[in-house]
Formats: sequence, structure tokens, C-alpha cells
Amino acid sequence: MKRLCAAGILIRPPIASRKPARQVRTAAFWVVLAVLLMPCLAHAYAGPGAGFAVLSSFWAIFVAFLYSFYALMTWPIRQLFRFIRRRNAYGKAKFSRAVILGFDGMDPELADRFMSEGKLPNLAKLREKGTFTRLRTTFPAISPVAWSTFMTGVNPGKHNIYDFLARDTSNYLPFLSSAEIKGPKRHIKIGKYSIPFGKTEIKGMRKGTPFWHWLGKAGIFSSVIRVPVTFPPEKFSGVLLSGMCVPDLKGSQGTFCLCTTRSSSDKFREGGVRVPMERRNGTCYSYIPGPDSPLAETAGKEMRVEFEVKPDAIEKRARIIVGSEKLTLKVGEYSDWTPVEFKAGLGFTAHGICRFYLKEVSPEVEVYVSPVNIDPGHPDLPISHPVTYSIYLAKLYGPFATLGLAEDTWALNEHVLDDEAFLAQCYSNHEDRERMLFDALEKTKQGLCTCVFDTTDRVQHMFWRYLDADHPAARDVPRDQRPNVIPELYQKMDRLIGRVMEQIDDDTLLLVVSDHGFKSFARCMNLNAWLHQNGYLALKDGKTESGDWFDDVDWSRTRAYTMGLNGLYLNLKGREKQGIVEPAEAEALKIELQQKLNGLKDPTSGEVGITGVFITGNVYRGPYTENAPDLIVGYGAGYRASWDSVLGKVTGQVFEDNLKAWSGDHCIDPRLVPGVLFSSHKFAMEKPHIADVAPTVLTLFGLAPPAHFDGKAWSLAG
Amino acid sequence: MLRPVPALAALLFPLTSPLAIVVVLSIVIGLLMVVLFGYTSNQKAIKIAKDQLKAHLLAVRLFQDQLHVVVGSYGRILRGTGRYLRLAFMPLLYVIIPITFLIVQLDRYLGVIALRPNVPFLLTVKVGSPDLLDGVTLDLPPEITMTAPAVHIPAGREVVWRLAASKDGAYEVKLTASGQDVTKAVWVTPELSRLSPVRLRGHFWERMFYSAESALPDGSPVESISVNYPERTIGIFGYEMNWIWLFFILSMIAGFIFKELLGIQV
Repeated sequence: MKRLCAAGILIRPPIASRKPARQVRTAAFWVVLAVLLMPCLAHAYAGPGAGFAVLSSFWAIFVAFLYSFYALMTWPIRQLFRFIRRRNAYGKAKFSRAVILGFDGMDPELADRFMSEGKLPNLAKLREKGTFTRLRTTFPAISPVAWSTFMTGVNPGKHNIYDFLARDTSNYLPFLSSAEIKGPKRHIKIGKYSIPFGKTEIKGMRKGTPFWHWLGKAGIFSSVIRVPVTFPPEKFSGVLLSGMCVPDLKGSQGTFCLCTTRSSSDKFREGGVRVPMERRNGTCYSYIPGPDSPLAETAGKEMRVEFEVKPDAIEKRARIIVGSEKLTLKVGEYSDWTPVEFKAGLGFTAHGICRFYLKEVSPEVEVYVSPVNIDPGHPDLPISHPVTYSIYLAKLYGPFATLGLAEDTWALNEHVLDDEAFLAQCYSNHEDRERMLFDALEKTKQGLCTCVFDTTDRVQHMFWRYLDADHPAARDVPRDQRPNVIPELYQKMDRLIGRVMEQIDDDTLLLVVSDHGFKSFARCMNLNAWLHQNGYLALKDGKTESGDWFDDVDWSRTRAYTMGLNGLYLNLKGREKQGIVEPAEAEALKIELQQKLNGLKDPTSGEVGITGVFITGNVYRGPYTENAPDLIVGYGAGYRASWDSVLGKVTGQVFEDNLKAWSGDHCIDPRLVPGVLFSSHKFAMEKPHIADVAPTVLTLFGLAPPAHFDGKAWSLAG
Repeated sequence: MLRPVPALAALLFPLTSPLAIVVVLSIVIGLLMVVLFGYTSNQKAIKIAKDQLKAHLLAVRLFQDQLHVVVGSYGRILRGTGRYLRLAFMPLLYVIIPITFLIVQLDRYLGVIALRPNVPFLLTVKVGSPDLLDGVTLDLPPEITMTAPAVHIPAGREVVWRLAASKDGAYEVKLTASGQDVTKAVWVTPELSRLSPVRLRGHFWERMFYSAESALPDGSPVESISVNYPERTIGIFGYEMNWIWLFFILSMIAGFIFKELLGIQV
């Protein structure tokens, strides 16, 4: 009876404590043990909770056993089958494993400088032991273009990616160049609902075959993590998590929201929305805008997830309640990734994840909500191959950012996030990627393991202003108070290299590759304004400026226009809907523009704003060159297309200071921003190009690169 | 004659069908246990442990050609299962005593069926020594008659009588051994009743689980008196099963539904 009494005591302590005294636990243990050991049918079962626990455990073991048994039993057969079909996949391979780390935007000049300052000991080791060189990049030097070339081994004329955006010749509007997402074509109307019937169609626009597909066909397994322009994921022998170009749940490339009690009619230029927060009886109510309802008859009826904030001005914190999640955040603190479900009705639910950042609790309340990412543990769109790979990673490490451009540069540009908050976001994402990389390294003892880190690109974009002594965006910050963000970034990447080097042996080839380098972006050039002032682009009568996307442009008198980062287009008759340039005159016009723009000087600084203009017909070869811009504009160091010019807007001024946090860039003359190549082994090579990586890896695994490759394989030295 | 004291039955059983009782109980217990599990467990840790288990299962599938991954994952699954069970142990501590007590009590109502008039049954008496067997006598109420002479089993120290009741009722049979009297309740009724198949001397834990009667006196030469009530089975969808299995299945289903509705990690 004493034992039973002890069990009674067990029930009394408050649940919150969950730490019964040691004696009570000991007594309870013996009581339970006694009960369990007594043979009786009745107590063999102790309720659904314990029942589930026991059943689930046995189920897990049972399933694992079945899987393992199947894998173990069939492994020799599969190996034999593979051997017969492909002989020995690694028979001619020079390495059993290749590890390629992509550091988006790592700059060779900075790497060289920091190595000479002793800040990058691991990269310096690679340089001594193997190779360090500049890696020529694509025209233009833009990540989706360069990484597409990296994976396919071909020039953009063969992979069809020329920029983040491409233009629709029927209406001069932009569309995402890498993927097209279309909802189901058929709908069934029932009452107020229009129920979609069929599948969402996701079409990849990048052509060409990534080199890991060739490896897979030869029986070589690959783990590919966050390589840009791999959305939608394609089937191959390996696992892949898509990177840059994966949309958020709204289908955009990242739309944050600022929920605020502060009234303002200002709109963010792009990348974010302001959502009003209503305060009632000390609690604030707001919502997260989501994707359009799939059941709405007309487009544009967005779904929302409502949430409430209970601010505590004294403690400078707030309680945020969203769905069943309850979060307590201090001012300046991020939440973990939080699941949000947008319900359309009739069981249609979109699953997303987002992070909350508490900006302010007094006098106003402001909460930043990150773009709602596709939930990797419950992906509504495929973001990995196989689909279970993202689920596997989410289960293993918890939810993670899936958005292609996961670091919210727009929020920093718009001063919604400050430097510290943005960096915290970047490095949090970075740590997730590191975990994925090391898991892939552990899982891929043979074959290819490649992972691209965006952190290098985003941080350099947003913090170059502190590296450039005279950057207009950092004029207010005394030089001695500027943070060393970029040197610290390079050191962080160096430490990562060090840890990877500890995991590999001589039978592994390690390549560190960047798609381009970086330069300051201090001055903006509105090329549309220049075209307007020089008679190539006309505005409607009475207009001196246009709206976004050529609103108020008179196409009947326009011969050339630009949109996106480097592309310049002729308004070609028969191609553009309102084209006026006769095809016969096109070449002459291209040369004319090339001559006028090449060497164009900034009248304010006297520096050259454009150092090269390239006629794409001379640069690209392949079946998709007709989709390319007519000219690629190579801006000089310190210059880039203005924010307005990128959005197809004509302003009055051609050159102006760039005052945004986005202060470094690479969308300039590609000759000025080569990437880096480090390798663990010495290669014999001349002017290596990013297109060479694919044929080199294939060759080192003993495979012949396909004939259509533009890159040339490097050979091992010695 | 004894009167039935259906205390729990009065509470629970305006329903008279054992199936209906088990269904209602399963739903209520399923809900209560899931809520209790939610409050007494480390929900976050359980979610992580379950997620990791799923991840390792997926790893076996995703990397099935990588033998080291398959073997390593299997080891991690075993470790993960241990961790998961450890996390489920604390809530188990909270629920096992009340649930065991409840199930034992229910088993007295639902585990066996009371005797029916004119249907023979066996009354078995076990004594401390074979020498005492000859001295054991049975005193029956008028409604119960002996249908065969007593059988002595010296090896088992038992005497077995075959008896039959002539009508419904709650009776007491009296046994005398070495001059000491002891009694045993015998239920003959078509109603759901709290039944005690055995009366025991000592054996605290056995009495807890099997007997619904007070212990036999410590000095009694009789160790146990048992009646072989027939086991009850409940029919559902053409299957006959013990009530505990039905309770197990239905409360699991109820628990599964409630855990989803309440968002509780189990």
C-alpha cells in the first residue's frame, strides 16, 4: 500500500514543474515496475498515449527492419546488376568522391587579400596544396546564368537563362526566366467555389542537362544542395534540394510583410507589403498575407493567416499567437520557423513556414514577418528530388528556409530590418545549409557532393558599403565605426572549408567555386533614361518619365529598351508586338548602340560607367539565342543598372548615387568580376571558365563529356 | 443471500450492452489519456524524437544504395526508439496506476459472465496441505445443489465440486476446513455484475488484479476458493474478442483522433 500511496503523490505536483522529487520518482519507478512485472491482461495496456508510444516504436523498428532487410538483401543483386549494366562505375575514376562547394559571389581579389593578411588559413592551405585561380564567368555575370552554365557545361545560348527575368515580347512585361508555374486549367464551379481540377503545372525553363544526371546514368550517386536554378527539381540518381529561384508560398521571389500599428500610406518599392495592425484592449491584431485562394472564381483573393500580439512595453517583449503556436519574443529577436496554414476551404490548405521578428513594442507595435516559405516538411510544391528529401532534412534538422533568395535583402533595403537583424537571418540560414552539407558529406562517401552557399553573395551585396571607403550609402557612418562584416564573412567561410577538409581524404577532390566576384555599386545608371535622352526610346506626348514596366512608353517611336540587369533589347519588328526596327537594320543599330555606350562616362565623376557592350550574337551559340537580349551591357566597376532601369522605368537622370544598403554588385562587365576556383589538387589549365567544371568532373569520374559541352576539362597536373 | 452492489455499474451502465459500454469507455478514456499525455510529457522533445526517427527511416529509403547509411540509420533508429520510449515513460508513470486500476475494475464486470440457473459450474478449494483435503466440507444454500461427488486432487491440494444453481441470485457458499468456516460469493444472474472468480488468502497483488472479495483470514487452512465463471467475449463485425482487446483498439482509434484534433504529440 505504501507504494500505491507513493504513486498517488506522483499525481499531485504541478505539471509545470515536471520534475518530481528524486524519492518520488524512485518510488514511482518501483511501483510501475511492479505493476508491469505482474502478469495480468488488464495492465498490459496503459492507455492510448503509452499504447501509441509502444506501437509507434515497434512500428518504426519494424519498418526500419523491413527497409534495411530489403536494402541489405537486394544490395548485392543491385550491385551486380549495376556492374553488368555499367561495368564498374568508378573503374576509370581518378577520385571516388568530388566535393564542390559553391560560394556565390566569392571574390578572388578579396580572397587573395585576406589570405595574404593571414585571415584565411584553410583557403591558403588549398592554394598551396592545390589550385587557386580566377574563374571566368558568363555574360552576364549573374548568378542564375553562371550557375546554369556551371551545371550544364554550356553557354547561355544552350541553357536559355540570361537573367533572373525575361521579357514577354507580346506586352514588354517581365516573367521569371527559370520556371513557370501554372495552376490547374480546369475548374468545377460548385456554389461560391471554383474547385481546381488537375495538377499545378511547373515548367522548368532552364535547358541543358546538369552534369550530375550524366553521373547518375553511369551509376554515380550525387547529393546536390541549393544549387541555383534547380527548381523544379528533375529526376536523377541522387538527392537534390532546389536553391535560388524557388518561390515563396505566394509565388513571388520573396515578399516580407511589416505588420505595424503605425499608420502610413507609403508602399515598399518592392519585396514587401505593409499590413495594418489593429490595437484593441492592449492586444494587437494583424494578419499574414498568403497566396491567392485556389477556390476563388477570380484571381487576387488572397488567403490570410491572422495572428495576435500581446505587447509588454515594460519587459520589451511580446507574446505572439498564430494558430496553435504561442511565441514569446524580445524586441530584436527572431522566432524559430513557425508553421502557418492558409485555409481556402473544402480542405484546400497551403502549408508554409515563416519567422517573426519583433521590431518594437512601444509606443507603436511593429512585427516583421519573413516571406512565407514553402514548408519543407510538407511541401505543396516539389522543392527536392525525391520529394521526400526535403521532408527528410526537415525532420532531421527542423524547418529551414526554402525560398530561393532566402535572405531578405529587400527588408534591409527598405530599413524594415537593420544590419544586425539581416545578418542574423543570413547566418541562421547559413547554419542550416552547413548542417545539410555535413549530412550530405556523411551520406555520400562515393560520388558527388555539391552545395551552394548564398551567404557570401547576400552579405557582400548588402555590406560592401562598409568596405568601400567612399560609398555614398555609408557616408553617415564614420570610418572607424564601420563593421568588418565582409572580412568576417570570408573567415566564416574559411572555417567551413577547414571543417570540410577534416572530413575528406586524398581520394576526394575538393573544389571551391564561385560564380562571379564582386565590386562596389556606388553609382546607378538608368540606361532607359540614356536611351530616352538619345532618341532611342520615346515617351508618350507630355511625359518626361515613365512608370514601371514602360508605362507611358510610346512603342511606335521606340527603337531600344532595357529591363533586367544587363540586357538591352531592340524593339524589333516581327518579334516585339509593337516592334519598329526592321530586321535588316538591326545589326547596324546594335553596332551603333555598342559604339555609343562603350566607354560612356559619368559626367559627375568622370569615370567610365560602361566598359563593354557585347552583341549577343557574337557571344552566345546555341538553339535558344533568339530568347537572349540583343546586347549585354557591361558596367564599369562601381556602376550598375539603376533600380528604376531594372524595372523598366524611364527617369530624368541617367547617373545617380546608390544610397541603398544593397551596395555591392556583380552585374557589370563580366571581365571585371571573375569568380574563384580553389581545389585540393593541382590542375593544368589556361584561363579556366565556369563552364569547365562540368566536363572536368565528368572526366575525373572517367566519363567522356558530351560533345555539346562548351567547357573544356582540366587535367590533373603531374 | 447477497445483494449485487453495482457501484461502478450504476455510474457507468445505464447502458446494458457490454459493447456499448466498451465503446463509450474507450472514447472517454482515449480523450482523457491523450489530454493527460499532452500535459505530462515534454511535447517538444517528443516531436523532435519522432521527427528524427522518421528522418532515419527516410534515410534508409533515400540512400538505399549506400550500405553504410542503411546500417548507420538502422542503429540510429534503434537509439531513437529508445529515446522516444524514454520520453513516453514519464506520461506512462502518470497514467499507468489509474488506468490499471480502472481496467482491473472493469474486468470484474466485463471479463467474465455470471452463472446461469441449471448450468453446472465448478467450485475449487485449495488448501495448505493434502492432509486437510478429507476434512473440507461444503455447506450450500438451498438454491445450489451438488451435481456430482467432490473430487480430491492431492497433488494440487484441491477439492473440486460440480454444482448448479436452480435460480438467479447472489449466494454465499460456506466451506469448513479444520474447524474454520470461510465463505465464497457465487453470482447467478443475467445482469452485468461485479464478479469475483476467486477468493484468496494473502497474495496481495493477485488479489488486486483478480479478486473482488476480501482476503481469506490469515490463519485459514484454505488458500483459495474459485468459481469457474465463463469468460465473456464481445462480438463485433463477426469477430468475438475479449473486451480488453476491443478497448485497446477503440481507445487507440479515439486517442488517434483526439490527438490530431487537439494537436498533441504522442
